[in-house]
Amino acid sequence: MSALRPGVAELDLPLFAANTGSRLAAWLAACIAITLLLTAASLLIGTSSLETSLGWLLNPDAQSSVILWQIRLPRTVGAWFAGALLGLAGAIAQGVFRNPLAEPYLLGSASGAALGVTLSLLAADASLGGLAWAGKLGVTGAACIGACAAIALTIMLSRGVLATASLLLAGIVVAFLLSAVTSLLLLSKPDVWRAMQAFLLGNTGFLSWSSVGLLGVVFIVCLLPAVLLSRGLDALSLGEDTAQSLGLSLPVLRLTLLGVLSLATATTVGQVGIVGFVGLVAPHLVRETVSVNHRQLLIGAPLCGGALLQAADLVSRWIIHPAELPVGAVTATVGGVYLVVLLWRRNRHE
Amino acid sequence: MNNLQTFAAAAAPAAPSTMSQPTAMLSCRDLTVGYGTRTVLDGISLDISAGHWTAVVGPNGSGKSTLLRALAGLTTPGRGTVSLRGRVLESWPRRERARRLAWLAQDAGLTNLTAAEVVGLGRFAHSGWLAHRRSEDDAAIRRAMLATGSLPWATRRMTTLSGGERQRVLLARVLAVEAAVVLLDEPTTHLDPPHQEDIARLLRDQAHGCGVCMVSAIHDLSLALTADRLIVLGDHGLIGHGTVREALAGDWLSAAFRTRVDIIEHEGVYLWRPALAAATRA
Repeated sequence: MSALRPGVAELDLPLFAANTGSRLAAWLAACIAITLLLTAASLLIGTSSLETSLGWLLNPDAQSSVILWQIRLPRTVGAWFAGALLGLAGAIAQGVFRNPLAEPYLLGSASGAALGVTLSLLAADASLGGLAWAGKLGVTGAACIGACAAIALTIMLSRGVLATASLLLAGIVVAFLLSAVTSLLLLSKPDVWRAMQAFLLGNTGFLSWSSVGLLGVVFIVCLLPAVLLSRGLDALSLGEDTAQSLGLSLPVLRLTLLGVLSLATATTVGQVGIVGFVGLVAPHLVRETVSVNHRQLLIGAPLCGGALLQAADLVSRWIIHPAELPVGAVTATVGGVYLVVLLWRRNRHE
Repeated sequence: MNNLQTFAAAAAPAAPSTMSQPTAMLSCRDLTVGYGTRTVLDGISLDISAGHWTAVVGPNGSGKSTLLRALAGLTTPGRGTVSLRGRVLESWPRRERARRLAWLAQDAGLTNLTAAEVVGLGRFAHSGWLAHRRSEDDAAIRRAMLATGSLPWATRRMTTLSGGERQRVLLARVLAVEAAVVLLDEPTTHLDPPHQEDIARLLRDQAHGCGVCMVSAIHDLSLALTADRLIVLGDHGLIGHGTVREALAGDWLSAAFRTRVDIIEHEGVYLWRPALAAATRA
């Protein structure tokens, strides 16, 4: 019998596995549970000892409640949102560029943000004592504007968003160019250079409730269009010609998703600096553990990224206690090791 | 799939263009396509009717893929027009056109989706962005997967399938569109000969049974000779368009490949024979 002639038994085969939904639900529930656990743990871990923190929780006074609810809680919630935005941006980047190694900063946003921060710090240099407030107000705005400008420059250089390869190339060129300008500017100002390092390595220490609010609003604004357009990313995974032949407008899809990607990255960079690897690793972790289409990936990657950055934040506070590591150093180390393991496992399979 | 027949019957366009005959489902006039300074197709005019499987053959670089891409509206021609049911391709609304003209690329990207999800994408032009699967979409997915024999691995991820299995899923994706015109760029690559034969039978059945206008580039000459009609391309453009018998009578293949192409007829089947003997003797 020909392979193409169906048998009777084939007629009622299922189209979609019955257990996919429940597996995904279990996975999402696990992510949320981990997030809640990490949030609770983050209230207890800080410069004070564990016993002191526990005492604060049980017998709160005015000073301790400020530490717990105005410093530690917004920091961990903000870390979650920042990680979630990076996870979302990473998933979008990997979908739009059809490349599993794409990451949120690939349009040059990180170097643009760094240049923006450098310029703002140099401007505030006249009164270097005012760095504290500049770090709170000027830096976030400057980073955001710098990131947006860099992305705009990248898109201009590649003359639009249609050619993926030239877009990626333009991103690399812009990143190198802006980094070079930043380095030149910093050569003469060693003290500004030190302040810059804190930003470049990522820092969750500045997060307040107002930054949480901003990150939260941007997260919702980014998540909605991304999920609505997720089927377009599914189609795009079959190739650009195929996606177009299915009746999809590639320019609309690309422009919208790159807009979302830029907004998510610029906001995050402004609030927590340059945190590497979360945006790259989070979508990978989702794909490795559950079978997903893009709608599921765009919901799963933020949940995963949020938990990752929260965990990294905790580790950064705890590992050289009572001092703190920059959170970006933690994510880079853990993420780098994870990628090496991933590559090694892939190579073994092939 | 009866609705496809009504599609074909209604093919006589409401506002027929002066250029194309009303019977042609897909036609092109003076189609010229180039990349940079190189002209690949120069002034090609064709009328392709519904209910036939037409194979596009020709040597490498003769523009088989380019012709199919231009017919599918994926390349903007330098000159000339392509019309679907007598209406110029560009004037069709995007989604409406996608419901009537389906396209299978030569190599699809590696996707993380399951087989049924991939086939479900063929319903995009019908169901839209939100992917709210209606029962008619599920029925179309099931029909297409049954027809290509890919239903048994509907729930598996594309990455876990063999090349041949994957190709049949992609073919089901094209059929799930239930379009009146189906263009396929080398649909039998990655397949072993018996499975190539299966795909050929499937294309023929869809064309004859459902009245689909089926056009495919086919590398294998023997396989292409099992089609209803041939479009033969040479290095310098169109050699001919007609039935297989006409192509053989005019020796179009020898002209296209610039070498003697021997065709043997065996029990009603045409077979291409490599001219090995002649080469060794020489």
